Amino acid sequence: MRKALGLIGLLAGLIALSSVWEHAHLHHSNLKFFTPENLRNLASWIGLFGILSLGQCLVIITGGIDLSVGSVVALVSILAAFGVSRFHMSPWVAFPAALLLSALIGLWHGALVTKVRMQPFVVTLCGLFLYRGIARLVSSDNTLGFSETIPGISWLSTGAISGMQIPVPFVLFLGAAAIVGGFLHLTAPGRHLFAVGANEQSARFSGIATDRVKITAYVLCSLLSGAAGLLFALKVQSMGPTNFGSFYELYAIAGVVLGGCSLRGGSGNILGVVVGAALIRVLNNLVIILEIPSQLEYVVIGGAILVGVFVDEVFSRKSHSTIASQ
Amino acid sequence: MKSHWLMVAAMCVVMAGCGPDSSPSSKEPPKPVAGAPNQPAPPLPTDAVPAKPAPSPDSIKVAFVTNNASVFWTIAKAGTEKAKAEFGCKVEFRIPPNGTAQEQQQILQDLVTVGVSGIAISPVTPQFQTDMLNEAAARVNLITQDSDAPQSSRACYIGTNNVDAGRAAGDLIKKALPEGGKIMLFVGTLEAQNAQDRKMGIEEAIKDSKIEIIDTRTDETDRAKAVANVQDTLTTHSEVGCLVGLWSYNGPAILNAVRSSGKLDKVKIVCFDEEDETLQGVKDGHIAGTIVQQPFEFGYQSVKLLAQLAKGEESAIPPSKQIFVPIKTITPENVDAFKASLLEQTGKK
Repeated sequence: MRKALGLIGLLAGLIALSSVWEHAHLHHSNLKFFTPENLRNLASWIGLFGILSLGQCLVIITGGIDLSVGSVVALVSILAAFGVSRFHMSPWVAFPAALLLSALIGLWHGALVTKVRMQPFVVTLCGLFLYRGIARLVSSDNTLGFSETIPGISWLSTGAISGMQIPVPFVLFLGAAAIVGGFLHLTAPGRHLFAVGANEQSARFSGIATDRVKITAYVLCSLLSGAAGLLFALKVQSMGPTNFGSFYELYAIAGVVLGGCSLRGGSGNILGVVVGAALIRVLNNLVIILEIPSQLEYVVIGGAILVGVFVDEVFSRKSHSTIASQ
Repeated sequence: MKSHWLMVAAMCVVMAGCGPDSSPSSKEPPKPVAGAPNQPAPPLPTDAVPAKPAPSPDSIKVAFVTNNASVFWTIAKAGTEKAKAEFGCKVEFRIPPNGTAQEQQQILQDLVTVGVSGIAISPVTPQFQTDMLNEAAARVNLITQDSDAPQSSRACYIGTNNVDAGRAAGDLIKKALPEGGKIMLFVGTLEAQNAQDRKMGIEEAIKDSKIEIIDTRTDETDRAKAVANVQDTLTTHSEVGCLVGLWSYNGPAILNAVRSSGKLDKVKIVCFDEEDETLQGVKDGHIAGTIVQQPFEFGYQSVKLLAQLAKGEESAIPPSKQIFVPIKTITPENVDAFKASLLEQTGKK
C-alpha cells in the first residue's frame, strides 16, 4: 500500500515538475499536458498498454514472467486481420477465435511451466520468437490492416464514452483492473496466486492446487494480451509483422515492477500496477510535450523506473527497520 | 485502505481533465508553486485547440517525423537545421525508435497537442495510415516526405521520384555493359512501392538495348540472405554481367559476395543509396555507380514548405502536390566530392 502511495507521489511530482518546466522554459501560457485532447489521447494509450500490464502482473505475482506478450499481440492481431481482410471472415467470428487462440497459448505456457517444469523465462522467451515467426510466416512479412473500420467493434478501441469523452480503451482498462483486482485481493483463488508466488511448496502443502493456480495466471495473461492486441490493431490499423508489438512485453513488465510487484513473486497490488502502467505512458507523452529529443526517450523511461524502484526499496527497508526497532 | 482512496482521487484528477472541451478559458493560468512539487498541479482550464493555428511569424514551430533511426535521417536532420536557421522557425525532430505505425500515431497526436503548425512525416505503411494522417491533417499542415500517402489528405509530398532514380540506374547499367548482357536485380521485397518504381525505371531505360533482366531476387531485408542471393546467382548464372542492388544494403551485400568469389573485374555492380561500403566500392572502382537520394533536401525543403504554409503562403504547393527532389548519380569521378559534401552536411569530420 505504501508503495502505491509513493508511486502516486512520484506521478504527481513528475507532472508538477514538468508543468513548472513547461511554463518556465517553453513559455506555454496554457500547459499542453492538461489540454483535454492530450489527456484523452494519453488515457487511450494508458488503457491499451495498461491491459498488458494487468495480465503480466498476474503471472509475476505467481513468481513467473511472460516475455511473449508482444509476440502474442502481433500474432493474434495479424491472424485476425488476415482472416477478415483476406478470407472475408466476419469480425464477429475472427475476433472471438483470436481470443480463444490467445487463451490456448496461455494454457500451453502454463502446462509447460507446471507439468513439464520448464522455467517460465525459457518457455515464454521461446514463445517470443515462435509467435513472431508464425506471424511473419502467415503474413509473408506483408503489413496487414483491416481494410475499413469495423462498425461496433472499432468503437471499443477508438470510441469515447459520450458526455465525458473518456476513451473506451481507458474505461475497458479500469474495468479490467477492477475485475482483476477484485479477483486478486478479494477471492480465495486470487489469494492463492500470492501464496503460490510467495512459497510454492508451502502453498501446495496447505492444500492449494498450485498447478491450476499458475495455469490460470498464464491463461489470463495471454488472454488479456490477445485482447489488448486486437484493440491495438483496431486503433493503429497497420500491423507490420516484424515490429508490431515488439517491446510491449518490456513496457508491460516495467509497469508491473514500477507498480510495486516483486519479480520474486508473492507481492503486488493492482492499484500500483494501474498507476505504474500509467506512469510509463505519461513519461512517453512528456518527452514530446517538453520537447526532449527523441534519443533521450528511453533514457527518461529507464531512469524514471530506476528512481521509482530505488526510492521504493530504500523507503520500504527503512519502514521495515522502524517496525523491527519498535 | 486509505491509500486506495488517494489513488482513486488521483485518477479523478486526471479524469477531470478529460471533460468536455467547453471549459472556460483563462488568460493567465496560475504558475504552479515550485516549492511544492509533490502536489499534483490542478488541471488548468484550457482553450479548445483551434482547427488551424495561425502563429505569428517569429514563433513558428514545425515537426519532422522519420520512419526509424538511421544515417539517412541524420542527414535529413542537418537539412532541417539549415532551414531552421534560414526561416527562423523551431523544428521538432521525432524518431520512432521501433519504426512502428503505433509509435507514429502517438507522436502525431502529441505533436498536434504541443501545437506545431505543420508536420512532415514519412509514413511507414501509408496505405493503412490514412485515418491517422487525415486526423492530423485536419488540425495542422501535414505533408509527407520520403514516402507518400496519396490517398490521404496530405497537403504535399516531398521526396524522390523513384522511377527517375530507376532510369538513372538503367543509364549506368547501359554504360557498364555497352555490348549488352544479362543482369540480375536484388531487393528486400518487391511489395514496396519504391522497389517497384525503381525496377520500372530500369526496365524503361534498358528497353532498347541488348540488356536482359534474368530475374529479381528478394531477401526480406535479411542481410545474410541478401549476400546468399548474390552468391547463388554467381554460381548458377555465370553469364551474368551486372548485378543491381535496389535497396541501400544490397550494394554492400553484392560487393562482398562478388569480392569473395574473386569476380570483381568480371561482374559490374550498380546500386542505390550511400552506405559507407558502397561509396568505398565506387571509389575503388569496384562499383560502377550508385544512385543517391538527397535526404538533406528532404529535411530542408520540408521545413521550408511548412514555414511558408504557416505564414499562409499556400501557393508554395505546386498544383501536382508533389515536389520531387532530384537524384544524383555517383560514379568514381564525383565520389570524393560527394563524400565531402556528405560529411559537411552531417557535421562529421
